[in-house]
Amino acid sequence: MESKTKSPPKLTRRNYSKIIRPIFGILVLGYILWRLYEVLIVQQAYSIEIWLRLLIAGLIIGGVYALIAIGYTLVYGILFMINFAHGEVMMIGTFAGYFLFEVTKGINVASAGNPPLSFSDAYPLISVILAFIVGMTVAAAAGFFLEKIAYRPLRKAPRLIPLISAIGASFFLQNAAQLLFSPQVRDYTNPAAIARGSGWTLIINDSRVVITYTGVLTFVLSILLMIGLYLMVQKTKLGKAMRAVASDKNTAALMGIDVDAIVSRTFIISGALAGAAGVMWGLHNGLVHFFVGFLPGIKAFTAAVLGGIGNIPGAMLGGMFLGLVESLGPTALGISYQLKDVIAFVIMIVILIFRPSGILGEVLSEEKV
Amino acid sequence: MNKDIIRTSSRKGLLFGIVLIFLVLINFHIMASTMISKLLGTNVLRGAFPEVRFMIIFLVIYGLWAGWSAVSRENKTTTKLLEGLISGITTGIVIVLFGLILFFLLETQTDVRRYLTALSFVSINIFLLGLRGAGVPVLFGLFTLTGLLGGALAIGLRSKTVSNFKHSIKAFVSNVRQSITSALPEFVTKYGKYMIYLVLLALLLLLPSRWGSYNNFVFGMVGLYVILGIGLNIMLGLSGQFMIGIAALFAMGAYSVALLNSPFPHGLMWGFWPSLVVGVVMAVIGGLLLGLPIMRLRGDYLGIVTLGFGEIIRILLNSDLLTDLTGGPRGIQNIQQPTFLGRPFNDVSYAYLIIVAMAVSIFLYYRLEKSRTGRAWLSIKEDTLVARATGVDVQKYKLLALCIGAAFAGLAGGIFAARNQFTGPNDHTLMVSINVLSVVIVGGLNSIPGIILGSFALRGLPELLRELETYRLLVFGALLVFMMLVRPDGLWPSSRPNLEEKGSSDLKEDIDPDLEGRGND
Amino acid sequence: MTEIIIEAVKVSKFFGGLIAVNEVDLQISKGSIYSIIGPNGAGKTTLFNCISGFYTPEKGDILYYGTPIQGMPTDFIASQGISRTYQNVRLFGNLTAMENILIGLHTKLRSNWMDALIHSPRFVREDNWSMQEAVRLLDFVGLKGYGDFLASNLPYGLQRRLEIARALANNPRLLLLDEPTAGMNIQETTDLTQFIKRLRDELEITIILIEHDMKVVMGISDRISVLDYGIKIAEGNPKEIQANTRVIEAYLGPGGAALAEKYRSQRRKSHA
Repeated sequence: MESKTKSPPKLTRRNYSKIIRPIFGILVLGYILWRLYEVLIVQQAYSIEIWLRLLIAGLIIGGVYALIAIGYTLVYGILFMINFAHGEVMMIGTFAGYFLFEVTKGINVASAGNPPLSFSDAYPLISVILAFIVGMTVAAAAGFFLEKIAYRPLRKAPRLIPLISAIGASFFLQNAAQLLFSPQVRDYTNPAAIARGSGWTLIINDSRVVITYTGVLTFVLSILLMIGLYLMVQKTKLGKAMRAVASDKNTAALMGIDVDAIVSRTFIISGALAGAAGVMWGLHNGLVHFFVGFLPGIKAFTAAVLGGIGNIPGAMLGGMFLGLVESLGPTALGISYQLKDVIAFVIMIVILIFRPSGILGEVLSEEKV
Repeated sequence: MNKDIIRTSSRKGLLFGIVLIFLVLINFHIMASTMISKLLGTNVLRGAFPEVRFMIIFLVIYGLWAGWSAVSRENKTTTKLLEGLISGITTGIVIVLFGLILFFLLETQTDVRRYLTALSFVSINIFLLGLRGAGVPVLFGLFTLTGLLGGALAIGLRSKTVSNFKHSIKAFVSNVRQSITSALPEFVTKYGKYMIYLVLLALLLLLPSRWGSYNNFVFGMVGLYVILGIGLNIMLGLSGQFMIGIAALFAMGAYSVALLNSPFPHGLMWGFWPSLVVGVVMAVIGGLLLGLPIMRLRGDYLGIVTLGFGEIIRILLNSDLLTDLTGGPRGIQNIQQPTFLGRPFNDVSYAYLIIVAMAVSIFLYYRLEKSRTGRAWLSIKEDTLVARATGVDVQKYKLLALCIGAAFAGLAGGIFAARNQFTGPNDHTLMVSINVLSVVIVGGLNSIPGIILGSFALRGLPELLRELETYRLLVFGALLVFMMLVRPDGLWPSSRPNLEEKGSSDLKEDIDPDLEGRGND
Repeated sequence: MTEIIIEAVKVSKFFGGLIAVNEVDLQISKGSIYSIIGPNGAGKTTLFNCISGFYTPEKGDILYYGTPIQGMPTDFIASQGISRTYQNVRLFGNLTAMENILIGLHTKLRSNWMDALIHSPRFVREDNWSMQEAVRLLDFVGLKGYGDFLASNLPYGLQRRLEIARALANNPRLLLLDEPTAGMNIQETTDLTQFIKRLRDELEITIILIEHDMKVVMGISDRISVLDYGIKIAEGNPKEIQANTRVIEAYLGPGGAALAEKYRSQRRKSHA
């Protein structure tokens, strides 16, 4: 019992992470500042119109990322699972839109001119609206069935289990699309009025900056959808139920909310948003293939985490931020464009190191006691 | 009651119909009938189409299945027949609609292969049993009949007498087993387990030199995934850190061996063994660098950061920036082959090398798991906060888990690069990380037999099922989902060790005085 | 004058605008059983979390044998001989009872991962010793034969005991028990009370107890502190606390003291 009377020694242990983190942060921040100084002030290699172009591109891609990211965040907020197959839902939406445009392109309408116009050229607005409706519906259905088949039976399982199921579903959908539609890369057939590359032209410093119609469409629509979703979650009864289920499933069920139905609807909504993003992706980037959802999916997931997963404004912010970083980053830092994803990931890691729950995430005192 | 039956069984039928349409759209029916014809001894040339009769066999089996699965356990015999019939009819109706569309395509000679690659005219015609329009009603008849038959079959096989029969067989088997074990001499029952291990070991030692280089290649892949799985399991299964970037650590090992043993880009020729050590050390350093700044992150945040880390490494390897250093997108070729006692390696020696590496990894894993360190890891996984209040230095142990796990990944990477004589950025994609994750979870977290089974199931089987080539990944995805639905704890779930007996035996009184001191290291 | 094992000097802990613990002073002498009582949300568990290092108090010092320990890492504090249990049992549920105790022995062992890999003499010696020690502890808390059960499969009462066994494995000088009798029936509560006394008498462990069961508190405590809204409103031996009007009002609301007096006199009458 002698040892019990010894008084404890002074603290000697170091906290590795506490030392490393600032060093790491200062290094990265210093590097970024140095590169920015080099590119923006010393070299002045790029003029305003180039920045404008990049900014526009970043906003557009950011809008798409944000829409997909919302899907991840909605599902995560309710089920605490990463819906790894979400990118594939988007791919399905892209294909649905593609087929609609192919069909409308195939239908000829009577017109005075020669040769006859196709439906999609004659009525671009209607066919675009149709494409979005079809794309969103099909993707929403995909999300619904995905949840019903692959996730619902696993509601009570440990969190890694649904993740693996989601990975499996992602594989399955990708390969199903490949087998159905062949692995070839196809061109999206836009209506002639909003052909890719066409748009309003601004002349700045004697050089042209094109604001494409598809870009404007993508950006405006994604903003509108985001506002709509936000209002839905905040104002409607369904939104209230969703928030209730997200904060506590059991209590929500006791209050008479049908949890299964809410989860289903969440998947429908996130699927529809991903479908819209898919059609936008097709219209704006012009390519569709079975792998089209994979990268945007990973990026959007990154964006959702960046903003604080489970947090809807966070997903929007994270998506926009990621789009801008990807677009402006390589040029601003004077780095090869190949490394745009590296920049995005590094910035994400740095942000998470200093804010472990994302930009808008709930700030926890390390762990809940 | 009746309405209920109609609804559930017609829903089943609908499902089967839609799935069949999907199968036809991906040309699965051709593949299946080809397989059937091969099984029945009629070989089909590559690229040629099977005869219609095999198609019929496939459809009959499918229809029986549709009828069978619609039958519920509780109902009466007649109801069961009805269920099968309704399911068959629904499938039939769906297929009729589909068949009419196909017939229309055939009649108008519309080629839709631009959109649906599989729908060639030959394929359509075989599905319509070579009867064109007449095939549609025939198909309907076929599904109705097979649905009914499937229902009848289900009565035969699912009734109580059958389940009783099953029970009695089980009892019989266990009786026989018991009588055999009691009849056998004691040393067999006592050491039987070890004898099985011995046989397995002998097989492992004999097979690589016997079964050809392709099998060795597949086996080697499985073995490497076992090592990777053990590495990941230390991070994920023991210390509970969600790691999706193990490919980066794998790459560190692979690139170390490759760069130190290749004429290009550096012309270094260190030899395999020292560079393997370097590879392991590099992977550990990688794990350390990854781990240090992110110790505060938890759960999915940790997952996405490690994913990002993996992607960063891959993109850097792929970029022009590092081409001079690491060979860029073309990778590193002509990696020098190791020698052992002066003899160069061939596929058989690699198989042995991997067996040894695997055995060592498993051995080390077990030693770690059953130690103070392993228990500290488990406590962190179970409840980080309580672990901390129990005196576990959480950060240190998490970092340690990352580093030790990384060492295994580096080992696997080094062997991988040397064995392929090549490594490039495409060997270290996100898919590798995801595959390892799947191996560990499908096999069973914290279970070595599980990880071995998982590697065989997920890495070995797909390689061996080259027959199914085109459908490999599709089946893989579906299997992953199915596995999680049916066996969420993995193929071979882990169990906790029994320790109380060990502690109770020979209670010695002389407790070591050295242990009285306090301290945490 | 007995030695003070742990002392809180004007400890305050805030959560946002909420003052969970407000300038609390405590002095706990070695070998005593010290109870902290108070209504729900009074800051008792927060105080425990400050002592065991989960929280760093914003103001004030926590002195352990005269040395400040506030802000030190939790595991370091544990290694210095402060163990605790939790309000709602927190065991390592997927591990066996034996493993739970073995993890509790963590600070007592020295062998590291390299020892484990090569099975060094130190590892072998410690492994044998720790197994025996774990069984001894199982026996001590009356869990013999349950060693290979998963902790989450044990009945609730046994889980409580296992949690205490895990805390004891650390060979603590100070044991913090957070509502150990919660959810127990009368018999179990009586057993546990005896058990806590035994801990102090046989193992000479100082015990701080958070408890709502006044029978337990009044029965075994040497001294009692009462917290209300984060403020220490009274301290003394059980008799003094029972008579303290502020304490009664904290529990029963304003006017509670008069109410309690009335109740008491009524009971006295009816007994007579």
